Amino acid sequence: MKLMQSFAVSPRLRATIKHSLRSVAVLSFAVVATDFVDAAMMTGGTAAAANPTSAIPVLNAASGVTLVVVNNNKTMHDGQNIAFWSFCENGMGGGGGMGGGGCPISGPTLQLGVGQTANVTLNMMMAPQEQPPYQGHTIHPHGLDVPQSEDGVPETGAAVLGDTYNFSVDTRYVGSHMYHCHVHTVKHLEMGLYAGFVVKAVDNAGNFLNVISQNGPTYDYEWNMVLSTVDPAYHNQNAVGDSTVFADYNPKYFLINGNEGISTSAPADTLTAATGKKVAIRLIGLPSVNATFQVKNASGSAQSFVVYNKDGYALPTPQTVSSLVLTPGTTADVMVTLPSTSSTWYPQVTYKNLRNAGTYTNGTVYTKLTF
Amino acid sequence: MRACAIRRTSVRARLFSPLLLLSLLFPVVTFASSYTLYIRSGSWTVNGSGGTTLPVWGFTDATSGGPIIPGPVIESHENETVTVTVYNQHTKSHNFVVQGVTTDTTAIPAGGSRTYTFTTPSAGVFMYGDTLNSNINREMGMFGAVVVRTAGGANTAWTGGPSYNFERLWVINDMDKTRWNSVASTGGTVNTSVYKPNYFMLNGLGGHDAMRDPNSELIGSAGQVGLVRIVNAGQFDESLHFHAAHFQVIAVNGSRPTPEWADTINVKAGQTAMVTYKMHYAGQIFPMHVHTAQMETANGVYLNGVATLIVGQ
Repeated sequence: MKLMQSFAVSPRLRATIKHSLRSVAVLSFAVVATDFVDAAMMTGGTAAAANPTSAIPVLNAASGVTLVVVNNNKTMHDGQNIAFWSFCENGMGGGGGMGGGGCPISGPTLQLGVGQTANVTLNMMMAPQEQPPYQGHTIHPHGLDVPQSEDGVPETGAAVLGDTYNFSVDTRYVGSHMYHCHVHTVKHLEMGLYAGFVVKAVDNAGNFLNVISQNGPTYDYEWNMVLSTVDPAYHNQNAVGDSTVFADYNPKYFLINGNEGISTSAPADTLTAATGKKVAIRLIGLPSVNATFQVKNASGSAQSFVVYNKDGYALPTPQTVSSLVLTPGTTADVMVTLPSTSSTWYPQVTYKNLRNAGTYTNGTVYTKLTF
Repeated sequence: MRACAIRRTSVRARLFSPLLLLSLLFPVVTFASSYTLYIRSGSWTVNGSGGTTLPVWGFTDATSGGPIIPGPVIESHENETVTVTVYNQHTKSHNFVVQGVTTDTTAIPAGGSRTYTFTTPSAGVFMYGDTLNSNINREMGMFGAVVVRTAGGANTAWTGGPSYNFERLWVINDMDKTRWNSVASTGGTVNTSVYKPNYFMLNGLGGHDAMRDPNSELIGSAGQVGLVRIVNAGQFDESLHFHAAHFQVIAVNGSRPTPEWADTINVKAGQTAMVTYKMHYAGQIFPMHVHTAQMETANGVYLNGVATLIVGQ
């Protein structure tokens, strides 16, 4: 890897580089993408009856998860078909390289209980990839502050042809984080190799608890929102390697959970909840531009919500706001408390450019919260 | 080290030990230092794959030669009086403004000079630069940092503030070579409504150099705390992501909010921040990089944009 030549890599470091293409464990999970089951229910903990329609699987990272990288594609609202690469649970996407097979653009959400050990394998079999020096893929557990050997950074020695990632975190990390490929990230992140990673508080038996932070309030529903943007030029098959395509960024499509949601009548994702309940919304910022999150009611009035965590760490004091900026690589965990009378709210993200916070055509992505 | 060249023209009063003793007894002690800066045109090279040589305008403290990117670091202390004399040896008018500290925006004509005297009551980091010409002058390289340390010499972010074991200064910026630098340097008219920067630097360096520059890398043993002063002299907001540990955001553009933990900090264009980062893993290496697509590159070449290393000892 060419950047490894730019600084000394110690023999000890080289020794940490793992063998590629480890054997793939048989999966115990059988979560069908369209049959969302909250992991808390699976582990016998207090269930959060969340049923967002985005159909992004939620997997317990401690139970042994094997991910593959698959070709994927999506037809946008204007008819243009965009190629993506997606992390996909092994066996759920038709095998690597054979097409998405129903895997969402954003990869499976991984959950991990405090003190439990993640056991996540990246199987590179048939994965679409670039030529050297940017071949292969990794998983970078972004925000989980893992050791170098589990960090997924090729330039510091990570294996790019398959690896198993093992790590654990403490109570400070209860909240939202992310994982993404760290190979040639200017290309691979844009291509869709990203997903949410949620750390859960646990009870004495190890069951997940529905609290927004270690000492924070409980929630009744949990809604993960992965924010991302798409510059079609980056997705062109010729946009590989060191290309001047990557010298500029002109996003044209704007996503939440891998979906466009260009109007309230065509939301990117939908959650139906009971009145008076509390909904934790996990905002996972993976766009390459800034984003402003708001929750608006049917008449367009911004509702207040409470921010409990930023970058997966509890704030010193929760903040009640009606607007929150998410920038590339950041996360936030917020709570909305639903009124006692039925209505519909529209949690939404407006993407803004990095120079002057100017907005984009179709740059607001709507979701729908019915209660 | 070219980005951190410092040349003082007077000895700091604090070096006199009796006064240092006094400073311990009476916290409000006035110090003084003076700097001489020269404004010139020149060129600046980003090394490594994708690198280039850009025409620039900027500051230097050397009596000859081209400018350095960023300009010389101006160092001061709480309640110190600083005198900066600026000689404009370029063919265009320029000014010198320390953001949040000075208000004199008067143009210094080509061939002219101007002396600025100001006090620095607040410890932290400030951006200085040329505010004229619709951001063109700043984009061309006319920026630098003022670092203000504690009056008493304590290794804290400010008197009574968070303590640190080592310190770093990161001045980040972006340049649009084709549409701005190459046009402005040849007397053309820059269309300021279009800005597509293709070079992104940390202390004037692409990632190729910044990942082996000991003045940019965070280097320390586990448990040591680095105070990182950050100036975004560019026109794009930059979200900087640190691997290996969360850090505390202790100052944002001069204000000191209750510190929040983060693994990524958005430093807005033209603003500053300070974070304290505690080294966590001994003997391990991690990156610190901007988390935005094209800013990781030098004209599209990966990892020669804003990136450096976190080196645990």
